[in-house]
Amino acid sequence: MVDLIVVGAGLTGLIAAYTAAKMGQQVKIVTKGLGATHWHAGSIDVLGYYPDDAMPVTRPLEMIQDLVRSQPRHPYAILDGTIPDALKNFAALTQEIGLPYAGAANFGDNLWLPSPVGAARPTFLAPDAQLAGDLRRSEPMLIVGLRGMRDFYPALIAENLTKQGQRARAAFLPRDLITDRHDINTVQLAYALDDPARRSKLAAELKKLAQPGERIGLPAILGIDAHAAAMSDLQTQVGATIFEIPTLSPSVPGVRLTNALRNQLRQLGVRVEINAAVIGFHAEGDRVLWIESDASGRPLKHRAGKFLLATGGILGGGIDSDHTGKVWEVVLNLPLAVPRERGQWFRARFFDPAGHPIFRAGVSVNRKFQPIDAQGARVYVNVWAAGNILAHADPILERSLEGIALATGIAAARNASEQSTVSSE
Amino acid sequence: MHTASWHSVGMTLDECIKCNICTTYCPVAAVTDKFPGPKYAGPQAQRFRECGQLKSPDISVDYCCACRVCNEVCPSGVKIAEINARAKAQIVADRGIPLRNWFFGRNEKLGKIGSYAPYLANLGFHNPFSRYMAEKIMGVARHAPIPRWSTEGSFEAWFRRMPRLKSDKKVVYFHGCSTNYYEPQVGKAAVAVLEHLGYEVIVPPQNCCALPMLNNGEFPAAEKLFRSNIAKLLPYADQGYPIVGTSVSCVLVLREEASEMLDIENDQTRRLRSALWDMSEWLRDLLEQDKLDTDFRELKMVLPYHVSCQARAHRMGRPSLDVMSLIPGLDVREGSARCCGLAGTYGYKAEKYDIAMKVGEEAFRFVRAQGDAARIVTSDSEICRWQLEHGTHKFCRAPIEIFAAAYGLYDLDKRRLITEKQK
Repeated sequence: MVDLIVVGAGLTGLIAAYTAAKMGQQVKIVTKGLGATHWHAGSIDVLGYYPDDAMPVTRPLEMIQDLVRSQPRHPYAILDGTIPDALKNFAALTQEIGLPYAGAANFGDNLWLPSPVGAARPTFLAPDAQLAGDLRRSEPMLIVGLRGMRDFYPALIAENLTKQGQRARAAFLPRDLITDRHDINTVQLAYALDDPARRSKLAAELKKLAQPGERIGLPAILGIDAHAAAMSDLQTQVGATIFEIPTLSPSVPGVRLTNALRNQLRQLGVRVEINAAVIGFHAEGDRVLWIESDASGRPLKHRAGKFLLATGGILGGGIDSDHTGKVWEVVLNLPLAVPRERGQWFRARFFDPAGHPIFRAGVSVNRKFQPIDAQGARVYVNVWAAGNILAHADPILERSLEGIALATGIAAARNASEQSTVSSE
Repeated sequence: MHTASWHSVGMTLDECIKCNICTTYCPVAAVTDKFPGPKYAGPQAQRFRECGQLKSPDISVDYCCACRVCNEVCPSGVKIAEINARAKAQIVADRGIPLRNWFFGRNEKLGKIGSYAPYLANLGFHNPFSRYMAEKIMGVARHAPIPRWSTEGSFEAWFRRMPRLKSDKKVVYFHGCSTNYYEPQVGKAAVAVLEHLGYEVIVPPQNCCALPMLNNGEFPAAEKLFRSNIAKLLPYADQGYPIVGTSVSCVLVLREEASEMLDIENDQTRRLRSALWDMSEWLRDLLEQDKLDTDFRELKMVLPYHVSCQARAHRMGRPSLDVMSLIPGLDVREGSARCCGLAGTYGYKAEKYDIAMKVGEEAFRFVRAQGDAARIVTSDSEICRWQLEHGTHKFCRAPIEIFAAAYGLYDLDKRRLITEKQK
């Protein structure tokens, strides 16, 4: 029997499983599908807007101190100053796994990176390949797309960047430079660029396009297994600084991060049971003994001494709702902090800068990241929760999704690992 | 066209958030332009297939190999593979079924006919000229690993010929067509293991599980087979006997796929489902209840284990691996290849053979990477075993043959029971 089961394979689940396995725990991940890492830009947002989405944040770690003073139940408040350490640990881990991340040149500042429509996106840590896209740098930008590639339009990006006072121009290259395929998605394009010959063809064309002093922005498809080699080959052969702009899903930077972390987990002996949607559980007293996942014949039991929920919020599927206004936590039916009436879920305006109350719904936890009920009592002695399932934050609005994922995932996994396993037999 | 409601499978369509994770992991879309990927052929195209549309808008769905990797990775629970299977059935309903696919759907009949004179059948079909003609005339890929008829007689004939153990502990065995006509050794190994564990084995009348017909979009005919199996097997389920199968794909169809695709879900299918087990899953259950004899002999070998897509689709963990890990000396290497490519009858089709081989390359590479020490390869599905033998030229054996060998009942090299006479 394993010590700890982590439910969910998004960034929170992966980092939690890694942390616990490093602390000597026998860990297994149980997950319904592949995680939200395939949807996100691969960068680590910590705090982008505060107190509302009209107020961009320059120094997130300092601003968090304001936030925790005014929102004492926010997950960042529970972390009690461990956020910088968590980010430092993550950055060190990315070095180790060959996918290095870094922050702004002026340490502690947010980076401002272009989105796939050319909007400025505040984020704290980004993979090396995205760093040169920082909009506070002065070099003019050449945004290059591949004709026929969906969801990446260099003219749109350049135009939007220009409107924001950036110097940017756009160019298209033919897609058959890097692939013979008709219809192909970002991940498949990235695999094509694992091939050095394809990279050289692309580099030769880029070299013709680039003017001296320009930095070149390309869709984030520059290799997947051979990403580091692809980046250095292209920059050397073109003789210019190149940066990636993340695309719509599937997001290659997210897939790279998933692959690198899962590779680490494999080496640590952590199994990932995929396609295992949890449909039931069994608890005795204040202890969960097993969870059950859906299967073709009979539910599959997963026993463990401890359980850590990293199932996500409403988007991630950790929290579900129906039209009657019922909202529930899908694995252990934990008590939720949620607006009582369906009429209170949303504010009147769709783009209200303060966001919508339903997106702050979730599980309340104590200082050890163990779920608590409305009276503040711990629900189960052997259950922890982390990531977007936690209540009292709106990570999309705040641009704090990955910061919360990493910092709470690490903290919850540490707390769980430190608690001695009591046999559940 | 089958008139079932499109409820359970169709409703999951609404859960699709178009995230493309399925297309990212689809092994077919990765190697060919003919299949645009599960999201496009499935949830996306489905919007144009709803009631009122006369013709199916897009035949690219025919290039889906039905491996269900899309279902596996989907974070939203969309039943993409089933949506695709129903779309194929719609195409068959609109345009009729090609003769070749009609034959593929009737592998039980083919098995039976060939088994009357297996030497003649093998000679007649498995010679280069016949295979060439079959490709030219019917579109049956001439190099594809179509199994040979067993020359030692069918499994059922063997089972009835031999004296059988009588016991209060009884178990029903579902052998499936391939064990009956092509690989009776798998059934013999199963019976040997079950009797070794003290069970009386019952082999009731049974018929094809309908997988080939479901795969080829022949839903009305598939429904007849499914209902017939329910009628034949349910009395045993109702007596409380476990029904175990060594073909992981047959068990999947009987337990879930047929119900889901044909929209037949009732008290009978539920009763049958709760009695049905994959052989390794059932052995693992005995193990968990401390009822499995774990006195295995040492099997000193490296054993690559390709986890077939059908085994993964059960979502029952890795029961074969759990039991094999108890065998001393056995160095099992679990692969992570998505699909062997053959996928039911997919790789037998001339226009899909090359795609199937490209898809299978991932599995072949994994097997080759285990080196020469790995002489034998295992996989839960006969289809995968045939394809892996074809792609790697190594011997493939079912997990039940490995278990039988570990109990000292079976010779893995000669592929026969220890008690069987040398021929």
